[in-house]
Amino acid sequence: MTDKLNEYVDGVFAPYEGTKSLGDLKTDLLADLQERYRELLAEGKDEAAAFELTVDSIGDIEETVREVSNLSRVLERQVVTRFDASALENSDFAGVAARKGRFGASALRGSDFSNADLTGSKFKSSDMRDVNFDGANVTDANFTTSDLSNATFRRSRLVRTEFSSSGLNGVRFADAALTDVAFRKTDLRKTVFERCTFTGVDFSVSDLRGLNFDGAVFTSVRFDKAGLEGISMRGAILRDCSFRGGWSKRYYKALQTIDFTGARMDKLTYAALKGFGVAPTGVIVE
Amino acid sequence: MSTNKISSDLLRGNTDTMILRLLTESDRYGYEIVKLIAERSQGEYELKEATMYSSVRRLEADGDITWYWGDESQGGRRKYFRITDKGRATYETNKTTWEYAKRVLDTLL
Repeated sequence: MTDKLNEYVDGVFAPYEGTKSLGDLKTDLLADLQERYRELLAEGKDEAAAFELTVDSIGDIEETVREVSNLSRVLERQVVTRFDASALENSDFAGVAARKGRFGASALRGSDFSNADLTGSKFKSSDMRDVNFDGANVTDANFTTSDLSNATFRRSRLVRTEFSSSGLNGVRFADAALTDVAFRKTDLRKTVFERCTFTGVDFSVSDLRGLNFDGAVFTSVRFDKAGLEGISMRGAILRDCSFRGGWSKRYYKALQTIDFTGARMDKLTYAALKGFGVAPTGVIVE
Repeated sequence: MSTNKISSDLLRGNTDTMILRLLTESDRYGYEIVKLIAERSQGEYELKEATMYSSVRRLEADGDITWYWGDESQGGRRKYFRITDKGRATYETNKTTWEYAKRVLDTLL
């Protein structure tokens, strides 16, 4: 009867012969089934009933086989994309798929990541000066404490990307929709944002002094405790934005220096600004 | 949707955490896991082999568990699963999340 179990399991795995990780799964499963079958016999079940119960305990194995073979492909890719602490200056990664790649503490200066899929990749504490991320997907990527000076993000996909505490001097973001991107505690005075929209972006405690955000669209953006002196937001659109400076008089003073000429904002944002003693002029409240 | 279907979906959704829980107590092999879950739930939840193995692979890929070959036993060479430090942390987080969800559901249902 255990031959019958063997046969049954062989049948299930027949279409997937040759996939190594599945060979393991087959062996493990068969050992489990044999043990269960022996126990059922010991409990006094007859062979047919024991066999039926054993086979029934497998469940939807086709689904698992599919999952496992997909997963092992992902695992193989992860092995290939570990570049921790490597020297990869001026490397060409254009168009690659390095989902969840790990580039921690790597020297990647001048490398080309244009149009690469870098979803979930980690670039913590790396030298990424002059890197090209144009058209790349950096969803969920992490650039914390990396030096990105003069890197470019044109038409990049920026969702939940983490830039907090990174060096962004001379970095250019252009034609991009930044969604839930974090720039906390970041010096952005020399960063360029061209034709970008900002949704759920967090600029808390960052230095934005002197930046030009003319015509930008801000939805649910946080400017809490940020350095705001001399920002230009002419013709910008602000909705549900947060300007909180705690007890800092300097913050509210800086708030008054923002040029909101021709900007449009919702009543909440306007009321919040007014509440802080800022009465922006030339603003359209919607 | 029958009561059975709802509760089995709900239970299956927590398979990873159930397995992590069993592994916090001791290293275990596949059949041991399904057997213990059947025993502890007094037969109310029967974890299928397929569900268990897809869960185990997922946990392994996420670094929550590792495995090693155990000694030769009656059932041949068995693969034992061991929880990692990351897995213990995942277990604690999932447990807390569940406690929270349970509290909220209790106020809503």
